[in-house]
Amino acid sequence: MSIRGEAVALLGLAGAGLTFWLGMTWAPSVSIDAFKAPEAQRIFYWHVPSAWAAMLAFGMLFVGSIFWFFKRSEWAWRLHVASSEAGLATGLMCVWSGCIWGAAEWGVPWDWTDIRLNTFAMLTLLSLYLVLGRRSQPDGVETRDTFAAFGMYGFVLVPFTYIATRLWQIRHPGPVVATSEGSLNSDMGTVLLIGAISFTVLIIGHVMAGMRLTKLELRLEDLQNRYEEESR
Amino acid sequence: MGIIELSKVTVRRGRSQVLDSWSVSIDSGEVVCLSGDNGCGKSTVIETAAGLVSMEKGSSEISGQLIRDSEGRRGRTKFGLCLQDDCIMGDELVGERILDAAGCDFDVSSLLKTWGLGHRIHDRVAMLSGGQRRRVAILSGLVPAMVSSEPVAILLDEPDSGLDDDSVEQLAQTLRDLAAGGHAILVASHNSKIIESADRVIQFPFTETKGDPVKGKFSLLESGVLRKTNIGHRMNLRTLSGVANNGIAGLLTLGAMLAMLNPEQLEGRTLTAFILAPALTAGLCGNSIHRLTLENRAYAWWNTISAIPPNALFHSLITCGAITVLASTVTGDFDVKLIAAGAVLGACTEAIVGLLSHATLRLSRPNAVMVRLLTPILILPWALVVDTLSV
Repeated sequence: MSIRGEAVALLGLAGAGLTFWLGMTWAPSVSIDAFKAPEAQRIFYWHVPSAWAAMLAFGMLFVGSIFWFFKRSEWAWRLHVASSEAGLATGLMCVWSGCIWGAAEWGVPWDWTDIRLNTFAMLTLLSLYLVLGRRSQPDGVETRDTFAAFGMYGFVLVPFTYIATRLWQIRHPGPVVATSEGSLNSDMGTVLLIGAISFTVLIIGHVMAGMRLTKLELRLEDLQNRYEEESR
Repeated sequence: MGIIELSKVTVRRGRSQVLDSWSVSIDSGEVVCLSGDNGCGKSTVIETAAGLVSMEKGSSEISGQLIRDSEGRRGRTKFGLCLQDDCIMGDELVGERILDAAGCDFDVSSLLKTWGLGHRIHDRVAMLSGGQRRRVAILSGLVPAMVSSEPVAILLDEPDSGLDDDSVEQLAQTLRDLAAGGHAILVASHNSKIIESADRVIQFPFTETKGDPVKGKFSLLESGVLRKTNIGHRMNLRTLSGVANNGIAGLLTLGAMLAMLNPEQLEGRTLTAFILAPALTAGLCGNSIHRLTLENRAYAWWNTISAIPPNALFHSLITCGAITVLASTVTGDFDVKLIAAGAVLGACTEAIVGLLSHATLRLSRPNAVMVRLLTPILILPWALVVDTLSV
């Protein structure tokens, strides 16, 4: 029962591995006219599902932050902790794979004027800030309130990131799934779907395991405090 | 209703609950002393009353004005405050600090003389001994009542720490004198002389005894016109910290770019970016006054005076504008629009970084969080301005 989170995460990781393999070997190649670096386009099968998983994690971070801040729920704080770590992991996967793809396709790994790139990177940096910042502070209501506030305000970037390519398409391409243009080949869509499901399972497992770990950490701290009080 | 009113406050600090639905009311002309072991919650009561601590439940009111409640509502009114930390920046001047605390002009030199600080009136607080600095902090807490004929609340947290016996006696007598003037005083202390000067003593956890102090005699200090503090700009002029931090960073950026690039060969977007980059770097260094307020927890005291953190935003506009002028001169492309953009971009960036840092002040180790991890987002608006202006 207690290892369910890790088991789910392992299942998701296996799915992510399968996605990677299918994307690199099985998925059809794209038209040489549509892309400058058609082979690099295969990064898409890792890049898009990791972005999806990161957005899920940022959503969970928002929920955890809100419920801690307004309801003082212990589970919500654990969700905040676990989802910020999950958001950092998947956010870095997405940014890193995007830089590689960008370097091949655009000739530059980054564009400081592209709103989608920058707001997404900012969300990843926010996760990094929350993870490192929390480790630098003793646990307590002040620490939790401050980081929960950052988690809540940071979520403003999520809708910005989502609509960025629709309103201000600068360099990052617009949506390719569920659009009226319907430009995605069915085999490509299948691999992408497997990727999205796998990364969703991975992120859920990661968050479950993270929440359990945080619970154990807090319990350990309580036991340490009790031991110190009793030995006085 | 009392001058100081804490209503059913529940406060958590760290992982423990310090106050649980606790109330206290202090009337005009009353001195209430909080006493008890270290860590029992005396400072929490003082800081909650001053609105410095967020509460789970309840509210704090002073002179009928809501100071803070559990819904996050904040308000401010005139009251005196002396915390356990001195809460004074080292570069503040002794006389100036007392006037800032009073909020109006008055004969500060005679007051300082009675407290043995007359000869230090023009000195920076950093030059004083620990005991002298403590006396300045105490006077900052007491002076709003000394210059007011209306009842004013005074909150003092262990004011006697670091004071000699004579000074403690003088403090106890002053508390009685202020009470005679109708002011309401809440003081946390272990000192027997301070405890003896109280009308009520609340021994934590919450047994209350009545005192029988001698009566004091209040004499009002004649005050003049109201005083504007402008503490950020004053401190910046005195310390030049804006130039030393933000300005130098901007100049170094310009120097580094000049070492790598030939400005005469730049054009279009690259030229605009070259001119605006030093202002961005200067802004990314953050609010230089914020760093000064971290000394002795001065930000907490200033937070009770104004909702806007001490800043030198007008000076930042000048500094960032001057750096942009310099970058423009180097390139030979002198455009007023670009210079104005550099000044505004730099100042806005500085203000945002300052606000991000300010948001972490509740943490027990605000210096340990890497708030600068969040600053790359500020490159986006800069890059968009560069794109727009280079068209």
